[in-house]
Amino acid sequence: MKQDRLSGQGLRSRRIDITRWIFVAPAMAVVVCLLIYPLCSTVLYSFTNKTMIKDSFKVVGLKNYLDILADESFYKAFWNTLKWTVGSVLGQVIIGFTGAICLNQVKNSMARSTFRILCIIPWAFPAIATAMVWKWILNGIYGFLPTMLVDLGITEQMLQFFSDKNLVMPTLMGINIWFGAPLIMVNVYAALQTIPQDQYEAAQIDGASKFQSFRHITIPHIRTVVGLLIVLRTVWVFNNFDIIYMITGGGPAGASTTMPIFIYDTGWTGRLVGKASAASILLLIFLVILTVLYFKVINRWEKEDR
Amino acid sequence: MKAKKLLAILLALVMLLTLAACGGTEDTADTQAAAGSGDSADTAQELSGEITFWHCFTQGARMEAIEDAAASFMEAHPGVTINIETMSWGDFNTKWNAGLTTGDLPDISVAQNTGEVAEMINAGVLADISGVIDAIGRDRFSENALGDMTTDGVTYGIPYYSHAQVMWYREDLLDAAGLDVPTTWDEFYEAAVALTKDGVYGAGFSCSPNDLLCTRYLNYYVRSAGGSLLNDDLTANLTSDIALEGIEFWVNVYKNCSPAETINYTVNDHATLFYQGTTAFDFNSGFMISGVESNRADLVDYISCAPLPLYKEGDPYYSAEATHIPLVMWENSENKALCQAFIEYLYEDDNYLYFLSAVPVGMLPSITGISDQEAYLSNETVQKFSEEAAIIEQAVEEGRAIGFEHGPSVQAGLLSSQGVVEEMFQDILINGTDIPTAAQAAEDQLNEIFETMVG
Repeated sequence: MKQDRLSGQGLRSRRIDITRWIFVAPAMAVVVCLLIYPLCSTVLYSFTNKTMIKDSFKVVGLKNYLDILADESFYKAFWNTLKWTVGSVLGQVIIGFTGAICLNQVKNSMARSTFRILCIIPWAFPAIATAMVWKWILNGIYGFLPTMLVDLGITEQMLQFFSDKNLVMPTLMGINIWFGAPLIMVNVYAALQTIPQDQYEAAQIDGASKFQSFRHITIPHIRTVVGLLIVLRTVWVFNNFDIIYMITGGGPAGASTTMPIFIYDTGWTGRLVGKASAASILLLIFLVILTVLYFKVINRWEKEDR
Repeated sequence: MKAKKLLAILLALVMLLTLAACGGTEDTADTQAAAGSGDSADTAQELSGEITFWHCFTQGARMEAIEDAAASFMEAHPGVTINIETMSWGDFNTKWNAGLTTGDLPDISVAQNTGEVAEMINAGVLADISGVIDAIGRDRFSENALGDMTTDGVTYGIPYYSHAQVMWYREDLLDAAGLDVPTTWDEFYEAAVALTKDGVYGAGFSCSPNDLLCTRYLNYYVRSAGGSLLNDDLTANLTSDIALEGIEFWVNVYKNCSPAETINYTVNDHATLFYQGTTAFDFNSGFMISGVESNRADLVDYISCAPLPLYKEGDPYYSAEATHIPLVMWENSENKALCQAFIEYLYEDDNYLYFLSAVPVGMLPSITGISDQEAYLSNETVQKFSEEAAIIEQAVEEGRAIGFEHGPSVQAGLLSSQGVVEEMFQDILINGTDIPTAAQAAEDQLNEIFETMVG
C-alpha cells in the first residue's frame, strides 16, 4: 500500500486530481459566493432576531416563522403573488402562443422577420422604462388611456388603474403580459419551425382536420418547450419585484403587495433581517416544490415522446 | 498534460496576483490612515489619500456644485482623490443600512434629516464631527440644529443647508375665487374644496408607504394644536383626540380635494402636481420655486407661501417641521483628517454660496454670515421671493424635525421612516377601516417597531 502511494503512478494520480480541483476552483468559488453563502446566511438569519440597526443578534428558534405564519399580511401577499403569477404566466403563454402560431402562418419571410422584431420590442424594454411609460399612460389625473376613455364616452370618470384596489392587480398583470408574451412567442415560434412538414402532409392525406393536426402534431412537438418556458416564467414572475415596486410600491393598502415586496418591506423598510429571511426561506421552499412538480410533468412528456 | 499544468500554474498566479492586489489596496489605505491620523486639517498641503462621498443631490445644479467643489479640492491637493457617488434619498437609506452588514460605507455622506442621523448614531457608525464645527465656528450654527445631532455631548452631524415646511398657494386661483389666504385649517379646507374644479385640485394628499407625507401632514395638524405624535416616554401617539381629529381632517382632504391617484404618490410625484399647476395648495419648502420654474415657468409669478395654518384663529405661531440636511463623517473612515478638510472646504464662502445658488430660497444657509452677503442677496430668485424666504427662515429658526419636540430620538426617525402612518391612511381610505381602529393598530405597530429597534 505504502509502496503504491510512493510509486510514480500514485503521484501522477494525485497531481491529476489537484489539477482538476484547480480548474473547477473558480467556478466553485463563484457558486459558493453567489449561491451557497447567501442561502446559508439566509437560513441562519431566519432563526435569529437580526435587524439592520443592531450588530448583535440572538437565536430565536422558530419565532420568525411562527410570526410570519400568524401575520395576515403574509397570506395577503402570498395570495396576491399567486394571482399575479398565474394571471401573468397564463396571459403570456396564451398571447405568446397565439402570436407564434399567427407568425408561423405568415408566408412572406421579410414580413415574418419584421413582425418578429416588432413583437419582441416590449421584451427589450428595461423594467424602469416599462414602469414609467405605463405609469404615464394609465395615470389617473392626466393619463392618455383614462382620458381617451372619458373623451370617447366609454367611462364617465377617469379610471383609477393604480389607485383602485380592484383594478390595480389586473392592470399590473396586463402590463406584465405585454412585457413577457414576446419571449414566449419567439421561443414557441422557434419550436414550431422544427416540426417536420411531412407530418402535416401525411395527416392531410389521412384526412385529418386542422384541429386534429394541431392537437396531435403541433402540441406534442412544442409542449416540452412550452413547459420549460412556463417553469422559467413562473419562477421569474413569482420573484418579480421591479415592475410592481416602481409602479405602485405594493399599494394601495397592500392590494399589489407580492411576496418579494413583502420581504423587501420587512427587510429594508422594517429592517427586520431575521423575519425577512424566514419569509424568503418559505418562498424558496414553495418555489422548489412547484419546480419539482413542473419538472415531473415535463419529464413524463419527454418519456412519452421517446 | 503539460498544457494543463501550465494553465493551472497560470490560473494560480492570476489568483495570487488578485489577492495581492486586494491586499495592496488595504496596505495603501493603512498607510494613508497612519498619515491622516496625525494630521490636522490645517496642514492642508500635506493632505493625501482617497475618500468616498455619498450624496443625494441628484438634480443638475446641486450635483455640479458638489462635483466642482471636489474637483477644485483635488486640484489644490494633487495627492487627494474624492470619489463621489450620487444616489436618490431612498437608495441612500437602503445603501447605508446594507453597509452596516457588508461594511460598504462611505467616508462622508449627507443624511436625509436629523432623524436619520439619530438612527445612524444609534447604529454606532458615525464619527465625532465637533472638530469641523469648531473650525467653521460653532456659534454660526443654529443651536437647535446642532442639538438635534448631539448625543452625550458629542455632535455627529453638521447642517449643510436648511429649509422648513410652509403652505404654498396659487394667488391667481385664490383671487379668481375671491378667497383670502387661509390662516386656519378650517379656512384651508374650505378654500381647497372651493378650488377643486375645472381640472384643478385644492390640495393633494399622498400616501405612499415608501415616503413620509402622511406623517408630515398629520404632524402639522397635531403640532398646530400643541400635540405630538410621540408621548413623553417616546412611545407612539396616534390615538389622542387631536391625532384622531387630524386623521379625519386629512381623510376629508383626500376625499374632497385630492386626486385619487395620490394614494400611491411619493414626495416627488406629489410636489410635481403643484409644479404643473394641478393643485392649488401644497405644503413644502422653498424648493417649490425651482420646481415650478422648471415645470411651468408661466406660473412662477402666481405662487407664494404663508406660515402653516393655525388650529384656531388667535393661536400662537408655530413651526411644525424644520429640516437641516446634515453632512456626517463615518466612523469606518481611515482618513478622517482628509474628510474634515474637505467638509471645511465645502463651507468656504465661495463654495458654499455657489452650492446654495443651485436652488435659491430652497436651500437656506445653515450658518450665519452668508445670507447678508452681496453675492447671496444679488440672486434674482432671492430678491423676487424675499418675503417667502423670510417666512421660511422663521419656520427654520423655530422648528424641529418631526418628533424632535421631545429631543432627538431614534423613535422620531422611525416614526417617519417606516411608512406605518401612510399604511394606516391607505387602510382607512381604501379598505374603509374606521379611524380609531386603524389608528390603534398603527400605534401598536409603531410601538412594536420602537421596542425591536431601540428597546
